Parts: sequence; structure tokens; C-alpha cells
Amino acid sequence: MNRKMVRTLVLGSFALALVLGAVWQAQAREQKDPYPSLAPLEQYMMERQAEIALARSAAPESISRDAEVLVLGQHGYETAVKGKSGFVCVVERSWMAPFDDPEFLNPDQRLPLCLNPPAARSHLPLTFKMTELALAGLSKTRMFDGVKAAFDKKELPLPEPGEVCYMMSKQQYFGRKYGNADPHLMFWVPKTDDMFWGAGFHGSPVYVHQYSPEPITEFIISVSKWSDGTAAPAD
Amino acid sequence: MNREIVKTIALRGLALVVVLCTWQQAQTQDQKESYPSMAPVAQYMMERQAEITLARSAAPESISRDAEVLVLGQHGYESAVKGKNGFVCLVERSWAAGIDDPVFWNPKLRGAICFNAAAVRSYVPITVKKTELILAGRSKAEMVEGINAAFAKKELLMPEPGAMCYMLSRQQYLGDSAGHWHPHLMFFVPQTDAATWGADLPGSPILASVDTLDRLTIFMVPVGKWSDGTDALADAH
Repeated sequence: MNRKMVRTLVLGSFALALVLGAVWQAQAREQKDPYPSLAPLEQYMMERQAEIALARSAAPESISRDAEVLVLGQHGYETAVKGKSGFVCVVERSWMAPFDDPEFLNPDQRLPLCLNPPAARSHLPLTFKMTELALAGLSKTRMFDGVKAAFDKKELPLPEPGEVCYMMSKQQYFGRKYGNADPHLMFWVPKTDDMFWGAGFHGSPVYVHQYSPEPITEFIISVSKWSDGTAAPAD
Repeated sequence: MNREIVKTIALRGLALVVVLCTWQQAQTQDQKESYPSMAPVAQYMMERQAEITLARSAAPESISRDAEVLVLGQHGYESAVKGKNGFVCLVERSWAAGIDDPVFWNPKLRGAICFNAAAVRSYVPITVKKTELILAGRSKAEMVEGINAAFAKKELLMPEPGAMCYMLSRQQYLGDSAGHWHPHLMFFVPQTDAATWGADLPGSPILASVDTLDRLTIFMVPVGKWSDGTDALADAH
């Protein structure tokens, strides 16, 4: 083998290593943060009637039929159906996911909720704020700072006693990894220890998510059926 | 929400309709249970170690092992095991039921419960007070008077926000017809309408019970497993 060939092989291997390294780095970055910025807005939108139906599917029909229904418009959520029970049903988008969740800003995510009156009073302002920040096209960091500042300045309320939120839609979609997960109830309280409800301990039916930067703790209890009455999958 | 956890949860709980039917059936049949007056006190008592074990079985071992445990003595509840996580486990007797409940004097009733700290401060004192009155030989009517007076003097309080408890004991005995019923969590809130939680409506996974004497509403959420990890569904068939 002459020197020229050796040199070509060495340079070629070096270039290949560089390319592979760059690809690997890019893949790792994508896995960690596959949705670094807001997708085109239309990808988050839904046909109005479909969104109303999906929002209502978060709770059994006996609860959601008299609930107010909100849908996402070009500039934020708007009332699509007036309610009379105090419950509010809404389909949240992926900017309501935790900031460190890889699904944050995933345009496919659809999270239907039905909130009882105390939950509607304290949780919806957070939903509206996050939606406003997202639709303004702010970076994730600026969204984080914006919501933190809003809580610091008490522009956003803390959870009230007696909040409960239904997430029982069979059509809910958390992303590729978790699909439609399972039907469950959620309870928000001002930030507290997991032990407050014995959550996250081995054998406990209560699960927990500690929000950040929101000073809120979310307790989660799975239930056995979807809102349409069908059985949830067994573990 | 912690999606990983949510994903891994998959309850095999009873269909709610089965729960409701069982509950209603049990209530109907309990109407026929006949316990018109208090049985001899000895029939309500338990061997101390057995009572500690039963009390702890109300919650998974990961919670109850560090809980304080109260047992029933001759004059009321007394601390049998000191705790360190804020939870308190005890076995309620039949007089903790509603005053019009036919199980009120059923000496076989054993309601094993582990309360969180908020319920320990606000709900447990009601059970403790009722028990002291009953074991002092007061009638049901006198017990009601005593509880009303204690609320009036603010010796008893409204439920604190977040007050809740575990009732996951496979050995619990909630009435001659209800038997051990179903594992469930209970949430104590100041007296309110069931509709505020969407409870008792068709398809809702939440049940409600209003207790006017205790000034509260209890919301119940059945869950899929007993505290020992066994599946509640298996007991449904």
C-alpha cells in the first residue's frame, strides 16, 4: 500500500468518525428535546366540534354534559359551550406538560380534562397563561421564567381546597411513549411533600407529580374505567 | 403529571357499577341487621397485637410501618406504637358510622383506617371523642349531644384541606352484608354537595357520603388493590 492510499484511508476514517459523532450527538439532542420550539400553530389546532367532543370525553357524560367547554382559538381558549354545573372541560396542549418532559410542545399531544368548580377557578388561569406564552412563540426558558414570575407576583392563584380533575378520556394522547396512558383523577394542592398523601410509596394507589416552577403538587389516582364505561387495561 | 407512573398504573378495580350495586345491596341488607343497642363492651375489644396488625393493614406497609397506631382501651383510644411519618392507623368501631346507620352498634364491625396528618388533626379527634363518650356509657343521643357541644366549643374542627385516609385492608369488616367491601381512599371535606366532585353520578368513579353530625362530606374512590398487593377484582367474582 503506498503512502497516498494510507493517507486517504486515515483521512476518510477520521471524516467518518466526525460524521458519526455529529449524528450521534444530534440524535441524543433530539431524544432529550425532540420539540425544542413551537410547531406551526395549525398543528395544535382541532376542528371545533371534534375538540368539544374530545373535551367532554374527559369525564362521564353525566358530568360533562352540563359543563362549560372551552376550545383553542387563534389567540387562546374561548368558550364554545356555556355550562350550568360549574364544571369546565378543556383539551390542554403539550405546553401544559412539565418543562422537562420530552413531549413538551409535541403538537400531537391532546389532554382532555374536566375540572370541578374549585379546580376551574385555580387551574384555568395557569392554562391560559401558558397558552398565551406558547402562542406568543416564546422560548421554553422564557415560558418558564414567565410562569415563575406570575406565581411570584401572585398573578396566578394557588390550588383551592377540594379540587378534583377528571382525565378519563380513552382518546387522550400523551405522546408516542405513553399513548393514552390510563383513566385517572387528579388533585392539585399547594406544594407539599409526597408523604402528605402517602404518594409514590411502594403499593400506594396514589401517584405524585411535583410541578416546577409552579408551587403545586399533583396527586393522581387511577380508576378502573374510561369515561365511556369500558374497562381500562390491566397492568 | 408523571406520565411514567401513570403509564405503569393499570387498575383492575371492580367496575363501578358493581361497587355501587354491592354498596347499595349491602345498605339495603344492613337495614335488616338488628343491633338496637350496645353489646357488652368486651365484644368490641380486640387482642392488642391483632388490633395493631389490623390497623396497619389499612395502608400499604410502606406507609403504615412508620405510622402511629392507636388501639381501643377500656376508656378510649390509646397510643400503642409511636409514629414518625404523620400518619395514624386505628380500627374504628361501629359507633363511628352515621347515627342512623343500622350497623351503629354492630360489635363485629372493624373499620381499619390510616389517616394522613391533616385528617389526624381534624377528623381523628371526632372518632376519639365519640369513642370516649360511648365507653363512658353514654347513649347514642348523649353522644350526639356531646359531639355537638364539642363542635360548638371548637374542640372539634372542620376537616383541613387535603384530609384523607386509606381503607385498603382485606381484613376490614364494614357490616354483615358489606363484609370487607372494597379497598378505597376517603377524602374529608367540609359538608358539601356530592355534585361538587361529580360524585354519585352514573359512570363517576367517586362516591359521596354526607355526615351532618360530623359536619363533613366524605368522598370515596375505590382502588384496584388491597394493601397486601392482591387484586380486588379477584374478590368480585
